[in-house]
Amino acid sequence: MSTHSTGTREEWLAARLDLLKSEKELTRRSDELARRRQELPWVRVDKEYRFDTDEGNATLADLFRGRSQLLVYHYMFGPDYAAGCATCSTIADGYNGFGVHLANHDVTLSAVSRAPLAKIQAYKRRMGWTFPWASSSGNDFNFDFNVSFSEQEQREGSIEYNYTRGGHAMDETTQLPDIVIQNAAMCGTDGLTYTRDRPGMSAFALEDGVIYHTYSTYARGLDGLWGMYQWLDRAPKGRNEAELYETGGMWWRRHDEYTKS
Amino acid sequence: MTKTDLNKHKVVTPDEWLEARKKLLIQEKEFTQLRDKLSRQRRELPWVKVEKEYVFEGPKGKETLADLFEGRSQLVIYHFMFAPEWEEGCPSCSFWADNFNSIVIHLNHRDVTFGAISRAPIAKLNAFKKRMGWTFKWVSSGNNDFNYDYHVSFPAGVPKEGLEYNYGKLQIDSPDLPGVSVFYKDGIGNIFHTYSAYSRGIDIFNTAYNYLDVVPKGRDEDNFEFSMEWLQYHDRYDR
Repeated sequence: MSTHSTGTREEWLAARLDLLKSEKELTRRSDELARRRQELPWVRVDKEYRFDTDEGNATLADLFRGRSQLLVYHYMFGPDYAAGCATCSTIADGYNGFGVHLANHDVTLSAVSRAPLAKIQAYKRRMGWTFPWASSSGNDFNFDFNVSFSEQEQREGSIEYNYTRGGHAMDETTQLPDIVIQNAAMCGTDGLTYTRDRPGMSAFALEDGVIYHTYSTYARGLDGLWGMYQWLDRAPKGRNEAELYETGGMWWRRHDEYTKS
Repeated sequence: MTKTDLNKHKVVTPDEWLEARKKLLIQEKEFTQLRDKLSRQRRELPWVKVEKEYVFEGPKGKETLADLFEGRSQLVIYHFMFAPEWEEGCPSCSFWADNFNSIVIHLNHRDVTFGAISRAPIAKLNAFKKRMGWTFKWVSSGNNDFNYDYHVSFPAGVPKEGLEYNYGKLQIDSPDLPGVSVFYKDGIGNIFHTYSAYSRGIDIFNTAYNYLDVVPKGRDEDNFEFSMEWLQYHDRYDR
């Protein structure tokens, strides 16, 4: 780091102005992508899903809580996990703080996981979170939106995650990446059980009593929705984890698991 | 709560949707790659040595810019708009703070110290922070030039035209504007300014807006006089 080039404010400014052009272009592309997302056609959701929530048995329509848009974070918490995914936890730390703003802009943000409601409630209490979190235990919701997969699909290699078959690090079944094993251990489960659930985000619209699926994103599509990385991307060392990946390490922990430093 | 009717939208079969979604996915992946590339270019910017001594008022007394690093080598500052004469911090910056408050602990474990800096006196910052239930470090630059040097505060009594913000000359009607600045401290205590972003350059730090960018109505602010008209302090929304 100490070998980094330094300059006067004027030299820095010249380089910064160059970069600013590219940054503005990226912002405009982001706006353009948001428009295209809104232009995507919708798919009517005809299936009846029943969820377990803090308020009792609920339909998908109930999860909207009177608003016309529902954003579901597919939180990795399989029925056999002892705790919710630690990586998803760092994403949840972000939306737990701003969900109230979305709620006042006609968007209900809810997490959904396959773990039974009692497990979800205990974990949510431990983490001090307040966002709504429903259990899809006993329905096909997670399978239909491509974030949970069966042992058979895993064995056959027929998992389609992020709109493609195979190719994702979590699709590996023999030589599991260390980061998967570490994440699995932090959830008190094994790697294969851990990767039968995957992270994602799905959007729904409710209009005249009819529910439509409008959008889903997975894998690195979640990167922009993961607050901490946008900040790290500005720090001099960036995400600063390439070496850690080589040695299989994972730097983040649940917010109550860091040792004081 | 704002409630705009969704336009009658095109509805298709799952297969047709999938085809359209996969096309969009290609563009989304390009965007992610472009963002990674920009992050690399950002880190290639030269650095500027900070020669000035800044002393801030913190919750426990005076602190220098070096102190704010708290033993880590990277410091990210959110320039929170809170002018000395204001009774509350800016509502938009409060929205940004609701986004970053809970992720500071994770940044700390990647050698990044995070703090907010405003010109309002420390007593006002402490009181507002307590009301909002935030835990991030927040210090006052009320007695130094920090905010002016990093182009987020503007002196009274000079022509409003031609003040520098976001690397351009603008007519500025607010005493403070938002921004993010990044600093690096080397092993022998030299401090360098590495990066600053303003205006929509800090859009990406507001994760909530990125969430709105994936819902059917998007940001849904076109019918307002100003974009964030719908926004309130998190403790002021109707239940």
